[in-house]
Amino acid sequence: MSSASVSDGLARARQGRNPAGRGPVRTPRNRPRNRQLVWTLVFFIAPSLILVALLNLYPVAYALLQSFQNGSLIAAGDFIGLNNYISVLTDPVFWRAAAFTLTFTIVGVFGSWSVGLALSLLLRTWIPGRNVFRVLLLLPWIVPTVVSATSWNWLVATPQSPVPVIFHALGLGEPLFLADPFLAQVTVCVFKVWISFPFMMMMMGAALASVDVNVYEAAKVDGAGPWQTFRLITMPLVRRSTFISWILMTIFCVNDFPTIFLLTQGGPANATQSLVVMAYRTVFADFRVGPGTAIAFLLTVVLVIVSVVLYRQIRKSGVE
Amino acid sequence: MTTISIQEQTTRVREQASARRRKADVTSERHGAWWRLLVILIVTAFVLIPIAAVIWLSFQPGQGSAQTGVTVENFIVLAQQTSALTWLGNSLITTLITVLISVLVAAPAGYVLSRGRNRLVSGYSLLLFVIQSMPIAIAVIPLFILFANLGLVDNLVGVTIVFVGSTMSVAIWMMAAYFDSIPIALEEAAWIDGASVFGGFMRIVLRNSLPGILSTAIFAFLLAWNDYLIALVFLRSDDNFTLPVGLQSFFQQNAANWGLVMAIAVVMMIPPVAVFAVLNKYFSVGGIGGSLAGR
Repeated sequence: MSSASVSDGLARARQGRNPAGRGPVRTPRNRPRNRQLVWTLVFFIAPSLILVALLNLYPVAYALLQSFQNGSLIAAGDFIGLNNYISVLTDPVFWRAAAFTLTFTIVGVFGSWSVGLALSLLLRTWIPGRNVFRVLLLLPWIVPTVVSATSWNWLVATPQSPVPVIFHALGLGEPLFLADPFLAQVTVCVFKVWISFPFMMMMMGAALASVDVNVYEAAKVDGAGPWQTFRLITMPLVRRSTFISWILMTIFCVNDFPTIFLLTQGGPANATQSLVVMAYRTVFADFRVGPGTAIAFLLTVVLVIVSVVLYRQIRKSGVE
Repeated sequence: MTTISIQEQTTRVREQASARRRKADVTSERHGAWWRLLVILIVTAFVLIPIAAVIWLSFQPGQGSAQTGVTVENFIVLAQQTSALTWLGNSLITTLITVLISVLVAAPAGYVLSRGRNRLVSGYSLLLFVIQSMPIAIAVIPLFILFANLGLVDNLVGVTIVFVGSTMSVAIWMMAAYFDSIPIALEEAAWIDGASVFGGFMRIVLRNSLPGILSTAIFAFLLAWNDYLIALVFLRSDDNFTLPVGLQSFFQQNAANWGLVMAIAVVMMIPPVAVFAVLNKYFSVGGIGGSLAGR
């Protein structure tokens, strides 16, 4: 009897109702089994709450405070109002970093998505040794970024590197992939697409795998061409996964530090400096903690908005 | 669907393919297969160039070496003359402790998120979701100042704590998504038999959650093993480096000695590739990516 009440409580809690039964009382005071239930759940969640509060929430609150002060890494500063934000927002370097962050994100999201979708569509068809390719193509996502960045450095960094040498042999000049501002931007974006397309390939592959094949055969019977099939059947069926993967990749790209920093450190002449790299360099190279945390905080606000939009969208489409 | 694993994806595609083959004309099914094979071969070859280059260079003779052809010389020099093995040890210990703590803390919290759906719990779930989207940079700056006062800068304990903090939100979500797939009827039966909530969780839920635990562990493993930013900020001395910062600092000092640099890179990529090779059916894309489909 008493154990049944625990399960009733949990069942009610699952439905979003008060676990204790009728009435608005949240913590039942006179039922020992329910009290045990509540305390067990508190005990379950407490360690994670402490860690999240200390390692995720405290830093954000402290960063917000720092962004209104002129402190350093070792000493707290004085309150200087919005000065850090004003100096950051009037700095052309900030807007250049914002523009590059946007470019990097757009190329990263749509580049990796198109490559990933194309490959997952290709790997859906019958190809000898298909599963081997499916595994091999995931390697760029699994190999640590530090390792692949080192390798890309070897491939493109100097005029004597293999890729510039091949370009020279083909009569395409001697491109300086990391020294020319525009080419450095292109290289960093291509590197990001190379790292990220396996993520998209898996996301889209899983979405495509749940599509009923009979739909395609019906379309074929009705005389639909490949482009019509893709636009009118495949796309609507994978729309939800596409949306989720775009938003997640946006978050990954905006937050990305190693991909950019390991290839170019944000150079040449700040051409590949994203906002995260700029925040890092402002704090740990220029020791200007206030402006650095102001940049990080502005970025956080944008990302929180993006993630709340995603969360609501998931909750909405989850109900359907 | 909790995590999107390759295995799952593969079997599903295979089932559908075989169903299709039974129905459809075999020649149209295989039409153009060799062209597609050619395309995918070329694409795969291009994609794998940077990874193949690492392995190939690591077996090439180093600067001023008398050796020619393929040699393991670089790995011997690596073991005898560089700090690479110390870095490997540091990386292994910080990563394993991160994985252990993340799973131990995330599993019970995920259980509450999965089973207790009231307003407080949904609020916590949303909070964790927002946290995972925040840049690590914003957590790193204040924690650096705090840890400098506590003597945790240039200290592997400090780095491990920050690793745990950066895995927490996604790990809890992943565990919750897995527990969602376990029917509550199993626990209810145990409660009726007199088990406590804690007992039911340990003996019924956890015992059936190995795939979810492994997915979460792999996520935490990759995050800690591949991390560059946190180690770069918090670690200062050569003896305390993890492999990513160790490799990067070694590369900056010995940029011309590609054989040795790539030998360290090979050592660094073996563990994640080995984990992937053995446990790929528990491998979930981007941690939270797989969980989102189910919640």
